Amino acid sequence: MGPGVDLGLPLQLLINGLVLGVLYALIAMGLALIFGVLEIVNFAHGELYMLGAVAAYFLTTSLSVGYWGTIALTTAGAVGLGALFYEGLLAFIAGRGFERSILLTLGVSMVLQNGALYVLTATPRMETTPYSYRSVILGDVSIPLLRVFALGLALLAFAALYVLLHHTRMGQAIRGVAQNRAAALMVGIDTHAVSRLAVAIGVGLSGLAGAALAPVYSVHPTMGVAFVFKAFAIVIIGGLGNLPGCAVAAILLGLLESVVGGFFSPTLVDSLGFLAMIMLLLFKPEGLFGRGVRL
Amino acid sequence: MLVSSMRATAMGLAMTMVVSPATGQDAIRVGSSIPLTGNLAFFGQHSRWGAELAIEEANAAGGALGRKIESDFQDNRCNPAEAVKSVSQMLSDNRYVAIHDGLCSSVILAIMPLIERAAIPLVVANGSATAIAEKSGVGGNKWTFKVNPSDASLAAALVGYLVAKMPEKSKSIAYLGESTDFGRSGSQGFEIALAKRGLKLASADYYQQGTADFTAVFTKIRAERPALLALYAVGADFQNVIRQYVSFGMNIPLTGRVLTDQIPPEILQSGVLDGTTSVQPYVPEVDTAQNKAFSAAFQKKFNSLPNLLSRESYETMRVLIDAIKRAGSAEPAAIRDALEKTSLESMLGATLEFDANNLAHDNAVIIQIRGSKIEVIGLNKT
Amino acid sequence: MRAAWRWSAILGAVGVSATFPLWAGSPYGLELGISVALFAVLSTGLNLVYGYTGLLSFAQVAYFGIAGYTSALLWTNFEFPMLAGALMGGLLAALLGLLIGYASLRLSRHAFAIVSLSLALLCQIVSRDWVSLTRGPMGIPGLSAPTVAFAGIGQVSFDRPAAFYYLMLSYAILVLALLYRLVHSRIGRAFLAMKLNQPLAESQGIDPLGYRLLAISISAAVTGIAGGLYVFHLTIVDPSIFDFYYTEAMLIMVIIGGPGSFWGVLAASLAFSMIPDLLRFSTDLRMIFYGIVLVTAMLAFPRGLGGLLPARIAVPWRCRAQA
Repeated sequence: MGPGVDLGLPLQLLINGLVLGVLYALIAMGLALIFGVLEIVNFAHGELYMLGAVAAYFLTTSLSVGYWGTIALTTAGAVGLGALFYEGLLAFIAGRGFERSILLTLGVSMVLQNGALYVLTATPRMETTPYSYRSVILGDVSIPLLRVFALGLALLAFAALYVLLHHTRMGQAIRGVAQNRAAALMVGIDTHAVSRLAVAIGVGLSGLAGAALAPVYSVHPTMGVAFVFKAFAIVIIGGLGNLPGCAVAAILLGLLESVVGGFFSPTLVDSLGFLAMIMLLLFKPEGLFGRGVRL
Repeated sequence: MLVSSMRATAMGLAMTMVVSPATGQDAIRVGSSIPLTGNLAFFGQHSRWGAELAIEEANAAGGALGRKIESDFQDNRCNPAEAVKSVSQMLSDNRYVAIHDGLCSSVILAIMPLIERAAIPLVVANGSATAIAEKSGVGGNKWTFKVNPSDASLAAALVGYLVAKMPEKSKSIAYLGESTDFGRSGSQGFEIALAKRGLKLASADYYQQGTADFTAVFTKIRAERPALLALYAVGADFQNVIRQYVSFGMNIPLTGRVLTDQIPPEILQSGVLDGTTSVQPYVPEVDTAQNKAFSAAFQKKFNSLPNLLSRESYETMRVLIDAIKRAGSAEPAAIRDALEKTSLESMLGATLEFDANNLAHDNAVIIQIRGSKIEVIGLNKT
Repeated sequence: MRAAWRWSAILGAVGVSATFPLWAGSPYGLELGISVALFAVLSTGLNLVYGYTGLLSFAQVAYFGIAGYTSALLWTNFEFPMLAGALMGGLLAALLGLLIGYASLRLSRHAFAIVSLSLALLCQIVSRDWVSLTRGPMGIPGLSAPTVAFAGIGQVSFDRPAAFYYLMLSYAILVLALLYRLVHSRIGRAFLAMKLNQPLAESQGIDPLGYRLLAISISAAVTGIAGGLYVFHLTIVDPSIFDFYYTEAMLIMVIIGGPGSFWGVLAASLAFSMIPDLLRFSTDLRMIFYGIVLVTAMLAFPRGLGGLLPARIAVPWRCRAQA
């Protein structure tokens, strides 16, 4: 490789991979939750991430809201948008066919993405924060500070989600509907409210990811495209509707991409997720952890 | 006999004096395909501004052939396929006497066959890939003229400086460029120049335009501990790379074609990039009388300092307008012939003349960042 | 009576399109014409696999692009003539379709949808990253259509838009005629049977996998050949040939026209190739328009135009199985 390879390289790659994986998980979890509860494949998920980033950009740049304030506001806004998204659109097609949901959300994605392109143009924008150039250094490993924040926020979100799902009645209702919609109805669960909450949370996670990553990457209308299809692959690899499986799959993908990118070539990295998904679908279609595409 | 010929001459002279004064006729139109949106929108904007300033100055001095000059700009998003579509359309519209640039090297290489087929000259201002000139001129595309220096010559100038002033560091140069004709031309230029001195690049990595995350490639490069990192990035990618480079704590001095005037001010101030040595066809800090005049006029009109895009574009449009005047006609073929005989002084003090490959040899600028300031080290002949 | 109507309408359409360059022969008009012919083929190809056989496929653009690259590479490196290259491209596309079809249809139609999407994405990524083969983002420029000597007309260069228009038109008419015959044959009825009620169809002795693979490979081949030809009109092929734009446009045309309705989809493809252009929509506006149409369609009339109109008028426009 080159002069002086040290143990720092594998360690750095590992850390990079973990951070990347957790960020992927943040976006993929929302997708998994929506699918689990509504059986809808949300093609517009990437655009919702993008909207979060755009909102964060404008809050920070035009309205001079601080980093943490931006995160809070954007996440809250995304949750609200999610509820609206459900009431206004998804409610009408929930449970009415796989293809219909794909096509509807694809349409939403087209409107959002091209609307943003039209209004904002394709020119990328940089969000600058006071934390932008600082990094955390641990021996040979360095992690940009903003990524550490994003990591922390993601873990916080996962913890909150876990508590919600396993220690509240609403969470129990969500899990019930995800398990068996008809049975949940029979037991008296308000599936409409549960679905709305699930979408709100799912979109909220996406918006949070957008706000956390806006200062890390550049903000532009097609920034969600790369993420959404990877998220899609992650959800299938983890097992459709299987939240913990999705998180594990996301981290595994992050690690894989980081290692391949570091030891081989960064240009191979993007195809890994899809190759993995295709391989899995051919040999273990229910996903690594169960509940696959056998509908 | 003498009287009638004198009378004829007098009549002829009288007629030309009636017919020649300006306006009354259509404008001469130049078409331009540049990225107006996308990663390179900012560069496209500057390219446009430079061309517009040159045209405005020419029109203020009477235009060319007594007609005003106008330009139309179409968006190509730095994408070859889109450029081909828009340029095809421009060519079939049949109103343009020449096409000006394309900005991205990949775009220019893609449209070269088109303009050749349509027999309309293409003047290249910003695309720097060595292949452009290699494919032009004698034995190649006779309609393409490149005013700015090629990457090969820019790299040669820089490597010459590096090997002379930093011989140890020159033995271990890593390369990171975009995966386009520009990025690959850069690494080629470095390899060739280093090979002449018995050296080679330590590594060469490429990233896709629009890459969000450079962590993986930075990790890889850092692990090899090179002494220098040659960077060939442009547009929004450049901003992204520099930002992530600094926040990742790379700490390897940069070289290559670093856009010193595009570095975010807070990064420049912090001194993190001190020791950067870069080569460019132009920086605003160059100290010549013509540059001062150009810069002043540019700032007055556009409220912004010029950069290499705007200056190359300006210079190239000047070359084109000069050729149209010398051609004495707005026929593309005549303009092409006139271009071949160009001899104009550039604002960097070189004479712009096209060689056998239709390539002009302007000066290159070597720049260093010292004490948080950008300094021009010298001008090299290319 | 109805047959006579239909035939005169078809002949009229052919006549109009054949004389098109004479009365709308500006470069802009010809570009539009080529686009219309192209999308007629692409949307009918998707209609075959989605409308008639019930398989939602995002892979059409993958076939289109792969065949385009094949054709371009064969021409650039081995001097294959354009037509031969396009045919090879179509063949490769068909093989690819068979591969992913066989692999995923063993699972379900939904697996097929997802794998087809991944294929399209993977193709774009690979074409962008495998620089030594495809030249990545730099693309393969300089493609030039052949000049052919025709008896009586002399040399015709297909680089000229008018000539290329006739080429695309002829190809489109050929494909449409072929597919029309196919869907009105026994095979076509088998497709419909499987789409409507798979267990019943199976009980009648129809092997779903075999027929589905047939639909996929034919659709892939015709789409691929169109791509193999079209890149010569573009004079360049680069990763943008796999852009989602083509998929979205095709989906709109099939969904609005009515999946399974031959004439409906054709009419929709005509409308949706032309209207955004006529309205001078930029690409972004066009896509917003498509998106809104798609959302509205999914909410209000998922069976397309054919499902909206009252029965008497709608019958020729509806999916045959719904009539």
